[in-house]
Amino acid sequence: MNLKELYQEIILEHGKNPRNLRKTEGFNKDAKGNNPLCGDNVHVYLKLNGQRIVEDVSFQGSGCAISMASASIMTDLIKGKNEHEAKEIVEDFLGMIKENPELKSEYLNKDEKTKLMCLSGVKQYPMRVKCATLSWHTLVSAFDNKKEEVKTEN
Amino acid sequence: MNIDHIKKEFPIFDKKIQNNDLVYLDSANSSQKPKIVVDRINEFYTKQFSNVGRSVHYLAVAATNLYENTRTSVQKYINAKDKNEIVFTKGATEALNLVANTLGQNYLQEGDEVLITELEHHSNYVPWHFLRKSKNIKINFAEINEEGEITLEEIEKKITPKTKLISITHLSNVTGAILPVKEITQLAHSKGIIVVVDGCQGAPHLKLDMHDLDCDFYAISCHKMYGPTGLGVLYGKKKWLEELPPYQGGGGMISEVKKDRISYGDLPNKYEAGTMATAQVIAFDQSIKFLESIGIENIMRHEADLVEYGQELLKKNNSVKLIGNPKNKGGVLSFTIEGVHPHDIATILDEDGVAIRAGHHCCQILHDKLDIPASARASVGIYNTKEDLDQLNDSINNCKKIFNL
Repeated sequence: MNLKELYQEIILEHGKNPRNLRKTEGFNKDAKGNNPLCGDNVHVYLKLNGQRIVEDVSFQGSGCAISMASASIMTDLIKGKNEHEAKEIVEDFLGMIKENPELKSEYLNKDEKTKLMCLSGVKQYPMRVKCATLSWHTLVSAFDNKKEEVKTEN
Repeated sequence: MNIDHIKKEFPIFDKKIQNNDLVYLDSANSSQKPKIVVDRINEFYTKQFSNVGRSVHYLAVAATNLYENTRTSVQKYINAKDKNEIVFTKGATEALNLVANTLGQNYLQEGDEVLITELEHHSNYVPWHFLRKSKNIKINFAEINEEGEITLEEIEKKITPKTKLISITHLSNVTGAILPVKEITQLAHSKGIIVVVDGCQGAPHLKLDMHDLDCDFYAISCHKMYGPTGLGVLYGKKKWLEELPPYQGGGGMISEVKKDRISYGDLPNKYEAGTMATAQVIAFDQSIKFLESIGIENIMRHEADLVEYGQELLKKNNSVKLIGNPKNKGGVLSFTIEGVHPHDIATILDEDGVAIRAGHHCCQILHDKLDIPASARASVGIYNTKEDLDQLNDSINNCKKIFNL
């Protein structure tokens, strides 16, 4: 266990000042997620253009440093990507948090991968994995326009 | 009373947990188990096991006697008039569901009002919500004051001519407030209102006297009383348990079963359908012996000292905000730290071996009222010391350091 690995400076910074913590004006897709065990909740808003490219993405909600930082970094990365790319990035991130040692997606550049890997410290804390993944599951749900709330399982 | 000696009776403290000495501050969630309780389960399964109340062979009779011995012990421990007023359940949750369900079948009518409080655990709200759905009853909430207490005056204010039942916690698992249950019961009974008490936090930490409290039902969680999981106790006044219908149907709870009619067994079998948590019941007798060997007055004094010490410590710690400041307070210290989410607090404290709980503690109504999504909670048991609370404070300081506060 290593707290320093979990609470890296970049996580604390994003947790304290989350990017895109707002409601996208004119959003055309959205979804809610919650973690019934701890009461964390997130609402993701997407604005897709005709080519299904993410023109804007934002979120509202409350949660721990890990969940806020994860949503913040996610929204930063996804902006400008198309739906297919974004979903592959989600798969890649969830795979990394679960078991893969590194990120593989060709849609992420080196800097983006480094940034995302800051969240890998959570792997050593099984009870906290759902904090990191809630917003990502909710993003997919928003793309698919699912009406039912996402509930995280580890 | 020597806490070091008492602590030695709990095997969990013998070994390091993740390379740390365990500082267990999560007893409001579930208490640790003394060796005599753990050993009793082993002994029963290895030397005495049989199902109870059914067969006539030697082991069955002996096991039945052991099972019934615990019922008598519980009766004496909580000063109930009759041993048939003690019903074993799978937990306090089932005990409260049993009360809500059977009163819903036979007593509460459409339009009747049930008064609960903003302090209630979900297990003392959701079962009544079921009746709100199925029977159209109304649920009213007594509100907390600034200190996180529920006063007798507030209860009196919320009683209407339609109030048929009041269901309240004995001791809040978040603010630690001890409710004036005896006074509330007197008031309620003067108006013909039934009183149900969620005693999950009360039973392990307060002196229990059903005769004195005079409530109609009292629900107990055994795993919070240094006992096994999967077991609860429902105390119910005999007149109610006799009058109300059974909760679950099955073996053991019947008198006679025919194709066209069924009659039910006498108390307490009427409410104990199916094979019960036999080993847990038998081991729970040891939990009561353990509590009696220390003495509830000693336990209460020790825990009050700890809470006072912890409160002073945390009050002095900048950026820690305690939740609730009740005059009568049980062994619960709930708090928030400005700028650090409770889950992060819990993870960081865990690194030092300090086990606390973070979240809404199954009290979303209360957290909504306080306008916070979650809180951190340190709760004490008989094995805790002032050093444990010093460690809590040190780890909180470490937490603040990590978050640059």
